[in-house]
Amino acid sequence: MAAFGLAEGALLEPVGELWAAFSPLSGETLLLNDTGAAILEILAEGPRSPAAVVDQLSEDSGQDAGVLGPLVTDCWNTLVNAGLVCPVDAPRSATASP
Amino acid sequence: MTAPPPSLAEVELRDVRRALASSGLLLDVGAARLHVRGDSQALARQLGAVYRCFPWQPGGGEAADVHVVLHQARGLRRWWRPQVVLRIDGAYPFEPFPADSPLPLLEWGCNWLIGRRLNDLLLLHAGAVERDGAALLLPAMPGSGKSTLTAALSLRGWRLLSDEFGAVDPTTGLVQPLLKPVALKNASIEVIRGLSREAVIGPAFPKTRKGTVAHLAPDARAVAARGIGARPVAVVLPRWERGSPTRWEPVSPSQAFSALAFNAFNYNLLGEVGFRTALRLARRCTAWRLVYSDLDDALAQLDRVWPGLVAGAVHGPQA
Repeated sequence: MAAFGLAEGALLEPVGELWAAFSPLSGETLLLNDTGAAILEILAEGPRSPAAVVDQLSEDSGQDAGVLGPLVTDCWNTLVNAGLVCPVDAPRSATASP
Repeated sequence: MTAPPPSLAEVELRDVRRALASSGLLLDVGAARLHVRGDSQALARQLGAVYRCFPWQPGGGEAADVHVVLHQARGLRRWWRPQVVLRIDGAYPFEPFPADSPLPLLEWGCNWLIGRRLNDLLLLHAGAVERDGAALLLPAMPGSGKSTLTAALSLRGWRLLSDEFGAVDPTTGLVQPLLKPVALKNASIEVIRGLSREAVIGPAFPKTRKGTVAHLAPDARAVAARGIGARPVAVVLPRWERGSPTRWEPVSPSQAFSALAFNAFNYNLLGEVGFRTALRLARRCTAWRLVYSDLDDALAQLDRVWPGLVAGAVHGPQA
């Protein structure tokens, strides 16, 4: 399965009860819930497939992967379309600051 | 010691006309300097009414950030329907206005240019006022009552920084004045006129695309301090609602971030700088939504809570 990484220079910052994420590749800003922010934090550690992200989230949070899968799927396309998450052949790095 | 220049209101109208028709007039509005030229007959009088406290600075084109020319429209129709047009860098981005209405065209044109050119600042779409050295930001969508509340505060002891631009310096975090006349629309013109005998309101221009528009002149104190920024401490999202009691609803930092960043004129253009500046504002400022119908009551409540807010002692009107 294809691996994805955090876009180069992407920023993730807490703002109140949510997270603000900025992609310098697209210039877009998104407000994310904890799931979206956790996906970016995991990808900041290194490229992974969506399934591997779900597994890592499950391991970190102790929640069932079957419950987390749909949550990750829900926000995955949004993160990709906003230029925050890219296939690994695109430029990427890990600069999120939780 | 050199005497300060006279204000625009103190200068003979014919001198203003002459300057506008030749080397132009420099209007230093704080974070920007506007250079205005033109042969519009009505322009000198209208500028003198709403920029009355600004210093008289003929010429000065070389020091300006924004250059505009207002001139009478050419062509045969000028004989039966005279119009004025706004030229910017050789182009005419706006439709002509009636010849007796150059001021709204000038104001819209300058705001349009400022919103595109002053990219050393994050330009929030917000009113901004200062008291006790601290700034209150009033971001809002058009029609929410932002200009009415900003104007009213400026007539009740608050220093007007801007009606249209919350201009935040990304380096210092201060809100810088972009001091221009407050554009009042329709019913709010009489509301503001009735609020204070000190209100100096220019001519009313009916039938613009926003209805009737008139401009509140910034006062001498605001003009004198137009080079002085203020630390932002609070964000209020105003909403005028007929018959509503004054109501303060807490706004979360993430909602404040959205209201500030996503309504800014140049947020996307500034990239990471815009992101970090908006984030800092959202984290540092206390934010509420203010729903009101009684302007006096809303102003009184804000006056009461402000000193505590500036001191960091309270977090909102109901705290």
